[in-house]
Amino acid sequence: MRMRSFYFFIFLLLAANAGAQPKGFQLVKNVQSFETALSKSNAAVKTISSDFVQTKNLALLSEKIKSKGKFFFKKEDRVRIEYTSPYSYLLVMNGGQIMVKDEQKTSKINTRNSKTMQAVNRIMIDCMRGTVLDNPDFKATVYENGSLYLLSLAPATDAMKKMFRSIDVYLSKKNFDVDKLTMTEQGGDYTDMDFSNAQHNIALNDALFKAK
Amino acid sequence: MFLFSCAAPYKNLQRESAATTSALRFKPEFGRVLYRCVVDGRIVFRKFHLSGLLFFKDMHDGSTRVVFQNEMGFTFFDFEWDQKDRFKVNQIIPQLNKQALIETLEKDMSLLLMKNLNTASETVWKQDNEVFHRFNLEKGIAYYITRQDQLVRIENAGKSKVTTITLSEREQHSELPSTIVFDHHKANFTIRLNKIDDAED
Repeated sequence: MRMRSFYFFIFLLLAANAGAQPKGFQLVKNVQSFETALSKSNAAVKTISSDFVQTKNLALLSEKIKSKGKFFFKKEDRVRIEYTSPYSYLLVMNGGQIMVKDEQKTSKINTRNSKTMQAVNRIMIDCMRGTVLDNPDFKATVYENGSLYLLSLAPATDAMKKMFRSIDVYLSKKNFDVDKLTMTEQGGDYTDMDFSNAQHNIALNDALFKAK
Repeated sequence: MFLFSCAAPYKNLQRESAATTSALRFKPEFGRVLYRCVVDGRIVFRKFHLSGLLFFKDMHDGSTRVVFQNEMGFTFFDFEWDQKDRFKVNQIIPQLNKQALIETLEKDMSLLLMKNLNTASETVWKQDNEVFHRFNLEKGIAYYITRQDQLVRIENAGKSKVTTITLSEREQHSELPSTIVFDHHKANFTIRLNKIDDAED
């Protein structure tokens, strides 16, 4: 009986491990060379302009809430996320400054209450700079398929664990562009950000990133 | 005079004796509705401002869900009323997980969605050109105020007015209006909802 329990335990462990590997993806064995290639590719990128579609999946309600907008990045650490439909919302991150603007008001965010934005900001910037594996808030595992790398980020700190079950970053193998970002909450709801029409190194006025 | 009118806002209501249709004809029925939500308020001397999306859904099992999330998709709270209008918090972030706040939000949404109304307690009153449908609540009173067969306000009162919910016109009685404003007179905050359409192009 004890032996059977032991085998059952091993089976569960294997099943859990098998489940942990995303379908259609394989573990990247040489993470170091992946990171080097990511850094090298991103070193040449000074700015990024891209469209995005955000889909919030309310798992238990079988519902999706969609929004879309424009994403801008300028080295070293400036991000502008501009929601244009079906609502207007602007988020600018510039160094340590975060500014948000809704239909009525522009405000600097209370950083204590903006851990989500800080986390997303840090991940976006890390992806653009090629330093995503160095983020101490998450433990990263790197997978790949024919066309994409998948960086599966598991929260490593209590603050992040309270908010996210995981964050998955899908990078194009062709140019290391962020193709998709999936943020899964502890309750099972998740938000996809799908990026398209990315343009590199076009001139982006500093005024776009004004956060004060 | 101002203090007097604040303390006794319903003093001049006249009981309506003629048969009147119940306010329950305004009970909202909807599949799914999405609102842009903006909250403004003041705690002691400090102002606060918060925005996000408020999502209403009637589920197939007869329950109702109200979910509030920020623009980036992160869920702030997920409230549920079952078939028998029993309230449950499915999820709430620690910053909002305060009993008084949850009770206030539950009451706001219950009033709007006409949940847990003691229908047998309904009495009808009039003042000027407005009809007041009065319901006894567990605590206090709810007034559903109509003008020309439109539900224009919902008021929650104890000894004085606690909350006013102002509603825009709607084509159907049971439709959720396109704009809704919750004004909390004692708690000093306002919730503004504007209906938005997130259907695919």
